[in-house]
Amino acid sequence: MRTLTFKDALNEALHQEMERDGSVFILGEDVAKMGGDFGVTMGILSRFGPLRAKDTPLSEQAIVGLANGAAFCGLRPVVEIMFADFITECYDQLVNNSAKAHYMYSGQLKCPIVVRTATGAGFRAAYHHSQSIEAWLLNVPGLTIVAPSTPRDAKGLLIASIRDDNPVVFLEHKMLYGATGEVPAEPYAIPIGVADVKRQGTDVTVVASMKLVHHALQVAEQLARAEEISCEVIDLRTLMPVDMPTILESVAKTGRVVLVNEAPRTGSHNAELAAEIAEAAWGQLKAPIQRVNALDCPIGFAPVFEDYIVPRPEDIAKAVRAAVDY
Amino acid sequence: MAVDKTTLLDFYRKMVLIRRFEETVEEYSKKGHVPGFIHLGVGQEAAQAGAMAAFQKGDFVLPDHRSHGVCLLVGTPTREVLAEIFGKETGVCRGKGGSMHIADFARGNVGNNAIQGSTMVTALGLAYAAQFKQTKAVTFNFIGDGTVGRGEFHESLNLAGVWKLPIVYVLVNNQYAISTRAVDAHPLEKLSQMGCAYDIPGVTVDGNDVEAVAAVVTEAAERARRGEGASLVELVTYRWQGHFSGDPASYRPEEEVKAWKEKDPIKRVREQLLAKGWATAEDIKGLDARVEAEIADAVTFAIESPVPKVEEATHHVYVGREVAGK
Repeated sequence: MRTLTFKDALNEALHQEMERDGSVFILGEDVAKMGGDFGVTMGILSRFGPLRAKDTPLSEQAIVGLANGAAFCGLRPVVEIMFADFITECYDQLVNNSAKAHYMYSGQLKCPIVVRTATGAGFRAAYHHSQSIEAWLLNVPGLTIVAPSTPRDAKGLLIASIRDDNPVVFLEHKMLYGATGEVPAEPYAIPIGVADVKRQGTDVTVVASMKLVHHALQVAEQLARAEEISCEVIDLRTLMPVDMPTILESVAKTGRVVLVNEAPRTGSHNAELAAEIAEAAWGQLKAPIQRVNALDCPIGFAPVFEDYIVPRPEDIAKAVRAAVDY
Repeated sequence: MAVDKTTLLDFYRKMVLIRRFEETVEEYSKKGHVPGFIHLGVGQEAAQAGAMAAFQKGDFVLPDHRSHGVCLLVGTPTREVLAEIFGKETGVCRGKGGSMHIADFARGNVGNNAIQGSTMVTALGLAYAAQFKQTKAVTFNFIGDGTVGRGEFHESLNLAGVWKLPIVYVLVNNQYAISTRAVDAHPLEKLSQMGCAYDIPGVTVDGNDVEAVAAVVTEAAERARRGEGASLVELVTYRWQGHFSGDPASYRPEEEVKAWKEKDPIKRVREQLLAKGWATAEDIKGLDARVEAEIADAVTFAIESPVPKVEEATHHVYVGREVAGK
């Protein structure tokens, strides 16, 4: 099968969905003429015209608010918020309007918007271009959070997100845009809320998302080779709702869990997952649940700071050993 | 613009309906029938009835924070609006909205919102959808003077200005944001001048003169329908009561309140009707009695209606996906 980059897989998903459904349009800062800060929306303007590819002023509230209103009228806006850190600028819209519009008017309105945004550290871009924001959104019923790790998943999940009738925040880890992988040429949807076991194993369940799935897989190979530890690696793919059955099935087999997430430790997605697993699988656990997170600090600028603060493969390996050696 | 007899009689009926509705909401709030906060629009009836005269089928309206009246004027049965405020199953949002979240999407009311300014970014999307679908729909966005301080106000006017969106901003300046006088919060006394910065024509009129209000809002709506973009219409008026029912509003001088009550917009229309010979005192009594009957019916309906079934609490969080109940 042909290979595509993560970025081009997303681009293909947008083209195919816009071809299929005339109500889909893109909206955001520099998405039309320039094709997006990371090139994800390249070619949409020339293919679909200015009504369906809208460059906006630097107005994130207006961008998401406009998307909400257009969605109420039956359109399917795909918004780009250039960096996930800027989600604070439209946080009110996401939390108080997108997430609640269907509920508070008792189903009269639907809000099928997709908010794509570049998340995560690694670009040496410090405080306002590097954060992992999923926990900021996790406590908001009504939102869906999608977070792919491979080009194939990126395409299938973006298509599913566009077709979904709920507001979806679609996280794109900026270190993955150049990653390559096999991607089917035809349009396909990967169901939201379904995790993927990226590697089978028997000793430890490692649960990760986005870039850290690749770290987890790398660590799993190393540990299998050098220390005869067998890791099962689960790629969450959707952070809300979480596919608990897949996780619990794995935990029933391994009895050990390492949760890996790039956001600061306190109040992170891992904390919620740990609580869910502890409640549902207490009797099956052979070791305390291990959490691998960023430190509870901002993403410092100097590369030594950033590398120290966010989870490294060795941090995952250490947590796996702690679970096994308990 | 001079209005004809039928129109003036209609304005009178609508304004009395709004006033009696608001007084009834307050009465039954004090009797314990209304959960939560209510924000009443007594004194602002001319602004609401006059502006809504321009509203046509297929248009959208986003009411402001004290717009029970606007919710009635789209044609939602009075009893369904009152039942909603009472938190009853028969309410227009089946008890999920309450006073601050009343939508009737089928009739064009896209809902009020308890975050001031939030409707302004929603309005962008409703208006953009009209451009996208090439309809003649106009979006009427009611806001208060306090909202002028919000980021949403400026992001929205900026985008509406540059995209020439078909929006009529109906800025109901009742001169106070809770206790803060508009003149202390904004550098311009005439808030309509804010439109200047965004190339949006602004006009300020006496918000207690229903004919003047109807004339300027109709002109703005026609301009929007012609594709000439947004307008900012400031209607200067006064709320007779406190910010919420129970607020003694001791921050306002008594003489000021008294002076504005003398400018009662309903009394003004009644006197006009009598002076022009378009209604006799008997006719007025008849009109008032019909409104009374409508209000009485709504009260009985709202009181006797059942509360929502508690199972509905977890419905409508997502489209097509249930969340766990207790």
